[in-house]
Amino acid sequence: MLLPKFDYNAPATLDESCQMMASYGDRAKLLAGGTDLLIALKKKTLTPTQVVALDRIDEIKGFCSDQDGLFLGSRTTAAEIAESDLGPAGRVLSQAAAQVGSPLIRNLATIGGNLATAMPAADMAPPLLALQASVVLQRVGDQREVLLSDFFISPGEQVMLPEEIMSMIVLPRLPEGCGGAFEKLGVRKALERSIVSVAAVISMADDGHTIQGARIALGAVAPTPMLALDAAAGLSGKKATAKNFAAAGKIAAQEANPRGLRTSAVYSRLMVEQLTIRALTRAYEATKL
Amino acid sequence: MKKCHITFQLNGITREVLVEPNQTLLQMLREDLSLTGTKYGCGEGDCGACTVLLDDEPVNSCLILAAQADGHRVTTIEGLADGDKLHPLQTSFIENGAIQCGFCTPGMILSAKALLDEQPEPSELDIRTAISGNLCRCTGYQKIVESIKAAANNCQGES
Repeated sequence: MLLPKFDYNAPATLDESCQMMASYGDRAKLLAGGTDLLIALKKKTLTPTQVVALDRIDEIKGFCSDQDGLFLGSRTTAAEIAESDLGPAGRVLSQAAAQVGSPLIRNLATIGGNLATAMPAADMAPPLLALQASVVLQRVGDQREVLLSDFFISPGEQVMLPEEIMSMIVLPRLPEGCGGAFEKLGVRKALERSIVSVAAVISMADDGHTIQGARIALGAVAPTPMLALDAAAGLSGKKATAKNFAAAGKIAAQEANPRGLRTSAVYSRLMVEQLTIRALTRAYEATKL
Repeated sequence: MKKCHITFQLNGITREVLVEPNQTLLQMLREDLSLTGTKYGCGEGDCGACTVLLDDEPVNSCLILAAQADGHRVTTIEGLADGDKLHPLQTSFIENGAIQCGFCTPGMILSAKALLDEQPEPSELDIRTAISGNLCRCTGYQKIVESIKAAANNCQGES
């Protein structure tokens, strides 16, 4: 498969790349890990005349933290996130990153790309929704922070303007006593697009048994990655018991909005229920670490 | 389309190449530099036949633009042997009968090399995970896993 013709640009700074995107507009496409873009170019589903590679921009790679939270550069790879210790709650993200594609893909694929392509089954989207992440979108002379829950519009579509570049993903600091876990269902263990994925983050009260708050996010069961708000709200103030987790699983299954494209909607809902129970159980275990 | 002038390390040697912006790393290696050990399989990152090491990490060379290699180190299967002396993984694949049609072998060996360089004593799960992006259509996985284990043991014995 041959790639269509385009010009290759490799700006050295974020400012320079913003300027390029401003002047090229929708004639240009950003190249981060390339694991989605190159396939789209080969299939001619995207035909930009300019490709702007973010390879040289080190300021948007890696992560740092302060009292407000964790800041992940958008060009950080899935492999780097998978190998990081992000704590008892943040592990929900590293577990998901470890299941992206294959080791070969994970060495290239970036967290920013995983979000910007806005696929309903994107592995890292549910954990980031559960962690209340927001993304920082940069353009010439301006930047805005968008909550990830307001970011996705439809399959392949999100709120970014053609001239915007995602520089960072921000994870607010969570209280002590939080835990997280990620569950993914596929027909094989590698190179698999999720049939259903569930990310759960729960925070426990000081007694260690009462749930203070929970966030549950679902992948591949709606046009966009989504939060199961009712299922999570139902857990507040309840004890962390198998019975309560099972009830949350049932509610999450109802909240899911599967279109029955890759599996039947009935099966998707059943799997949402089971995976939600598993994710909550493992998230609770993680709170004790 | 303006051509890109790139400088990179290929199998330990600095190379300067003029590439088309829409050329993949795989195309440059096979067509311009005649390094046909790296195979073209699916072209979509699903099969791993095109695996090369980019700064010591295994990647799909069909999903990287040649221009992106600028300033980086690329290792292909041709860069593993030391003159006539094969790399321990290459020897192990031959001795353990891990090569059937051979199409996946360069990718398998490079993924295995990256694993052993980082983890000299991998578990079987580590090995199977490390080669999970490399498909063998002859389905000779068992021999491949055994070869990687044997190579790991041999390397341990040597050091």
